[in-house]
Amino acid sequence: MTATPLPDTIADLLGVEGFLGEAVAMLLAAALVGTIMLTMTAFAGPWAKRKITASFTDRISVNRIGPWGLGTIIVDAVRLLSKELVIPEGVDRPAYDIAPIVLAGSALFAFAVIPMGSGIQLADPEVGLVFVFAMASIASLGLLMGGYASNNKYSLLGGLRAVAQNIAYEIPLVLTAASVVLFTGTLQLSEIVAIQQNTTLVTLAGVRIPAWFAFVNPFAFALFLVANLAEVGRNPFDTPEAPTEIVAGYQTEYSSAYFVLFYLGEFVHIFLGGAIIATLFLGGPGGPFLPGFVWFTIKIWAVYLFTQWCRSAIPRVRIDQLIGIGWKGMLVLSFANLVLTAAILGVTGI
Amino acid sequence: MNPWIAIGMLALVSVLIPVGMLSVSALIRPSVPEQGKRATYESAEVPTGDARLQFNTQYYMVALLFLVFDIETVLIFPWTVIYRDALAMEGVGLVEVLAPMLVFIGILVVGLAWAWRKGVVQWMRTPAHERRTTHE
Repeated sequence: MTATPLPDTIADLLGVEGFLGEAVAMLLAAALVGTIMLTMTAFAGPWAKRKITASFTDRISVNRIGPWGLGTIIVDAVRLLSKELVIPEGVDRPAYDIAPIVLAGSALFAFAVIPMGSGIQLADPEVGLVFVFAMASIASLGLLMGGYASNNKYSLLGGLRAVAQNIAYEIPLVLTAASVVLFTGTLQLSEIVAIQQNTTLVTLAGVRIPAWFAFVNPFAFALFLVANLAEVGRNPFDTPEAPTEIVAGYQTEYSSAYFVLFYLGEFVHIFLGGAIIATLFLGGPGGPFLPGFVWFTIKIWAVYLFTQWCRSAIPRVRIDQLIGIGWKGMLVLSFANLVLTAAILGVTGI
Repeated sequence: MNPWIAIGMLALVSVLIPVGMLSVSALIRPSVPEQGKRATYESAEVPTGDARLQFNTQYYMVALLFLVFDIETVLIFPWTVIYRDALAMEGVGLVEVLAPMLVFIGILVVGLAWAWRKGVVQWMRTPAHERRTTHE
């Protein structure tokens, strides 16, 4: 793992010094991280999502503009941004205007501490893991704001459902992450990655299998995947949007650029979930032959594919079932996972 | 330099990106006001009343439970960080490291079980549940 954070690398490249120079380097690094995530989202939202869903339902999907229909990304961006903005009567401003910014911004912001490999990590504070979870949960504030401020009954229901869902699955998510911290003994994300990469699980025919926590504790990995699906609000846990029940939930009254921001925020959030899973359970940017950043991209796209797969393959659960699964199932299982992991670690003394 | 300044820079960027998109959109989008266009969407029906109404949030008690468990995760994290170091220390046994946390989690689980029995941990008190509780 590289020890130098991205701002220092950029400062060295540009040859700038002093407080101002370093601040500029940090701004550039932050812009780079933001651009990387926006680019991935641009591929995921208008193009990959359609292609994946089309493959599952045996259709062709976008293929007219550019190779494999990739030109759709630009066309869609222009099309959505140039839509007329219709702001309905009686909305609660400025909450109505702030909600999309909160949603998209908070998801992007959390990438500040994610180690993306090849030296792309903006900052590496000791409380990295807690920071990521704190930022990821701000999104539900944005959803509630948007749902309430829209002055629409569908939106209100969607916003309230989003909060109910997020508080039900937040605790299993964090407790499962805590069971990983039991192994690592640190919350610093670069350390968590390094420990996974540098520990050998088994050596099969001369090939060293690193001790990724998905291999060490598959039960925690499965729990985390499910809780993460609920956190990003994808099937089977997409009740806050539930197109067949409440139109589009919290985003019913949003149009034009506001809708783009909601859409963008959701996809960045899915990638954030993927980045947390990759960092905690899949060895972050670690992998053979290819550079770290490529491996990181492969891993978070694998998680993205998983969410889209679930979207196509699994029916939605009802809201009361969802609360039941969260509080009576996931919470109990995550406590069991934490206690058992601690006990096994203590008894075997690994 | 302090890593939190870099994180602050990303906070700036992650506000500027949405605001930039909104500004670009404001420059290129049309505005065609028509009568009835701004009406609240209620599946093409004439809207009845607004959404500022008294609403049963269904999960008030669950939200209280969430607060308890959320604070509890904050207390669990420091323990997970020092767990292995504490085990490796001289003269510290497994019981001394693990037992206090087991007691702590045990108390919480008893609380959860009680709330569960009371029928708090669910979206809505269904008729079936009401029947079950009155027959007990």
